[in-house]
Amino acid sequence: MKKKIAVDKLPSLWASLAEEGPLYLPIQEGPVVNFQPWQDQAQVAMEAVNSVVSPKDIFLPREETYLHYQCKGQELELQEVNYKEKITAFGIHPCDLRAIEMLDRVFMDQDPPDKLYCSRREMTTVVAMSCTNPDPYCFCEVFDVDPLDAPGADVMVHFSDGYLYLEARTEKGRALLDKGKELLEDGSTETQEKQFEQTNFGIDVHDLPENLKNRFNDPAWDQIYKSCIGCGVCTYVCPTCYCFDVEDYGHEAKGERFRCWDSCMFGEFTQMAGGHNPRPGRKERVRQRFMHKLQYYPEAYGEIACVGCGRCLRSCPVNLDIVQVIKALGGEKVEQR
Amino acid sequence: MAERNLEQLKKIREAVSQDLLSGRIDLLLGWEKGHFWWESKPLFASEEEDLTRLTWDSFCAVNLSRYLLEELKEHEKVGVLVKGCDSRAFNRLLQDNMVDRERVVLYGLPCPGMLDYELLVNEAGSKILKITEENGQVILETESAEIEIERENVLISKCRDCLYPNPVVYDQLLLELQEKKELPERFKTVEELEFLSPDERFTYWEKELSRCLRCYACRQVCPYCSCRQCFVEQENPRWQGRAYKSSENFLFHLIRAYHGAGRCIECGECERACPVDIPLMELNRKLIKDMNELYGEYEAGLDAENEPPLLTYRPDDPAAFSEK
Amino acid sequence: MSNVNSLLPQAVTIMDITSETPDINTLRVVGSDGLPFDFLPGQCAMLSVPPVGEAIFSITSSPTCRECLEFSIKNVGKVSNYLHSLEPGQKIGIRGPYGNGFPVEAMKGKDLLFIGGGIGLAPLRSLIGYCFDNRIEYGKIDIVYGARSPADLIRKSEVGETWAEQPNTDVHLTVDAEFPDWKGHVGFVPSYVTELAFKPDNKIAVTCGPPIMIKFVLKALEELNFTPEQIITTLEMRMKCGVGKCGRCNLGPVYVCKDGPVFTLAELNQLPGEY
Repeated sequence: MKKKIAVDKLPSLWASLAEEGPLYLPIQEGPVVNFQPWQDQAQVAMEAVNSVVSPKDIFLPREETYLHYQCKGQELELQEVNYKEKITAFGIHPCDLRAIEMLDRVFMDQDPPDKLYCSRREMTTVVAMSCTNPDPYCFCEVFDVDPLDAPGADVMVHFSDGYLYLEARTEKGRALLDKGKELLEDGSTETQEKQFEQTNFGIDVHDLPENLKNRFNDPAWDQIYKSCIGCGVCTYVCPTCYCFDVEDYGHEAKGERFRCWDSCMFGEFTQMAGGHNPRPGRKERVRQRFMHKLQYYPEAYGEIACVGCGRCLRSCPVNLDIVQVIKALGGEKVEQR
Repeated sequence: MAERNLEQLKKIREAVSQDLLSGRIDLLLGWEKGHFWWESKPLFASEEEDLTRLTWDSFCAVNLSRYLLEELKEHEKVGVLVKGCDSRAFNRLLQDNMVDRERVVLYGLPCPGMLDYELLVNEAGSKILKITEENGQVILETESAEIEIERENVLISKCRDCLYPNPVVYDQLLLELQEKKELPERFKTVEELEFLSPDERFTYWEKELSRCLRCYACRQVCPYCSCRQCFVEQENPRWQGRAYKSSENFLFHLIRAYHGAGRCIECGECERACPVDIPLMELNRKLIKDMNELYGEYEAGLDAENEPPLLTYRPDDPAAFSEK
Repeated sequence: MSNVNSLLPQAVTIMDITSETPDINTLRVVGSDGLPFDFLPGQCAMLSVPPVGEAIFSITSSPTCRECLEFSIKNVGKVSNYLHSLEPGQKIGIRGPYGNGFPVEAMKGKDLLFIGGGIGLAPLRSLIGYCFDNRIEYGKIDIVYGARSPADLIRKSEVGETWAEQPNTDVHLTVDAEFPDWKGHVGFVPSYVTELAFKPDNKIAVTCGPPIMIKFVLKALEELNFTPEQIITTLEMRMKCGVGKCGRCNLGPVYVCKDGPVFTLAELNQLPGEY
């Protein structure tokens, strides 16, 4: 099903889609763009290169309460909190959708399925958007992501000539286009031609997971970790990072238990109560992060846990990023030298 | 790609190379280029050949002083290139007894201010092919035009408000001194915020802090945040957990700002590091303004002998809380 | 797709709390219908005490004990500290069982050597209890157990008497230093193992204790010619989800909560040594 809508009519489409539940769009939040639920006066920023924080927030929220507890004397009452709202996620770039599919493998496919993540994912219609405006930091093609098309989307959209073109790919996608049918016209989607070249960082990752199998103790790590300052920026903006923490918030009589983002860059991540910490220093933690992305996750799921979105390159305060690490570990393209 | 003063880099390289070879230092903390001409990253040079990557240009914003905390554990004597702000950071670490002055060699680099890539791109309007600097101007060559801009207009925000471009402490000054700026508007934004009602101010900060990811980048880059265990990491008692509620975001930032009262050197690294652009310097400047008013004019990190006001007691210190 | 939230605890009641040593208590918990779940020796459970939090503990009782779950817990942190302060009758949260458990089938027909240190006896006890309740399936059993002092030995009477009286079983207790009322062996557990000079033939060695003890025990066993496949240990890590998703307890691509905590030395040798 192929439709189109004039760009100036989009606010009406947003209003219509937002009737059923949160409509996530890239929205200008002060100086930055992030995926937020749309509200009437929101400043939608579809032309932004990408959001600062990845849209994984929609499925694995920064913070998610799943339990309420009450203690009366010696009694303990536990009450589950379930997620029930329908979500529309509009404007997801192909790189971010590929990353979400990586999270699907951990939270949905691997036993036991994670109920919280599954409910959100099932109740979301994903509208992916062709990316025609990369900046020098984008390198999704290194990971075989097609910036113009996201195979897993429910609806695929792109802008052209003052119109937004929409193509439904699944049942959910058709249902979404049906919802907006008053506003949408028939439109054919001409095949898009790529009109840009991504920065060539000179890396090739196809053999990397295999090559890294025995490089846990490689001396390269002694240099790689040094500039890292141990903040959590890379892990929080990264679309494939999914580590979480579980904590209680409340007092003895009642409160809630939530899960929230956590970062392997923090010392307390693996700190044990008795005092022992298997990753006591920054070297161990930096090594863990990159080995997980480039070797451990690929070994378990067959795919490198990076999509070339460029967020760690943009956001790291000291300009340490995965491209440098890949190069230092032998991922440099041979012809490049 | 960035045209820069190769003379300056040569001078720096010679000085540090000499010291590395002679053994005056075992390690030099400097900068090297990142992927792009507008990016530099920290360089850890322990061999002569590492120094071939050394760079000094208008994109060396990262404060290197903090790396001393780790590197001094492994190296006997460490050399570090310090701009004005970085040298104040060193004094801050020194005053907090986190570094040993004897084991550090400071190479002072008077700094003209670092340029902001995004502002340059905005001015250029299209892809920048070449960038040169002369006489306080930045000249950008694009495919269609040559654009000349006042350097002052394209500085990163922390450099726009810089009061001390020249290092305040150093063992060797490697370049010519820069002219200090007069900033009559130093507290302008703070005053504008003070003028708002408490409710308006609360709304303003609630909105800005709502973006906070609690990534702690601000804390990790900050020279005054060198506590071995931060209050957010303490378990017993647990002052602050991980909840992202508005109250918790306020708690973290306000406590951090208070811990820095009288100790903040206004280097602006916190604001630069923040991935979601929270205007942290406004909070820090408010405390600097209050400290000046309460305890007299004081600039942190200028002189290691001059103790921060909250660490000293004078009988005439204002004690409004006990006055009737 | 999934109707059960695997992070959700159920409420159980504390039947009683016994003090084993100055810093180790044993909690016995029971669900509304007997055991809250079935499990294998060596598996663990998450105990919840809101608002303090949740932590993972090895189930100390054998699955053959049907009246309750036992947890021997050392007071080292917030959650364990809080658990120590509770009274019988108190309800707490529990979820599990987590982990792979000991390979009780593969161990059948073999002689067994259990080596424990301090609180390390807790996960071993689940397995030892299971073996005694299925005594004919297993060969000769040797138990080497030590602690810093006699007061730090847990379940002394059970270990020293009940177990020692089991058929074809020898118990070897030791403490790290001389103590006035202690008539038994004095010496560290690893050196006691070397002293006892166990033969590796048809034997499986299972060890658990403080990381430093495990390290030296593994060395001692290798010197006695045990192969890495013959040596089994169980690891401890900080854990939050217990199901291999929160990302923190990994050793390379493997999660201690899910693919462990029981590993053979051969398996550990293939993994990064971050434990």
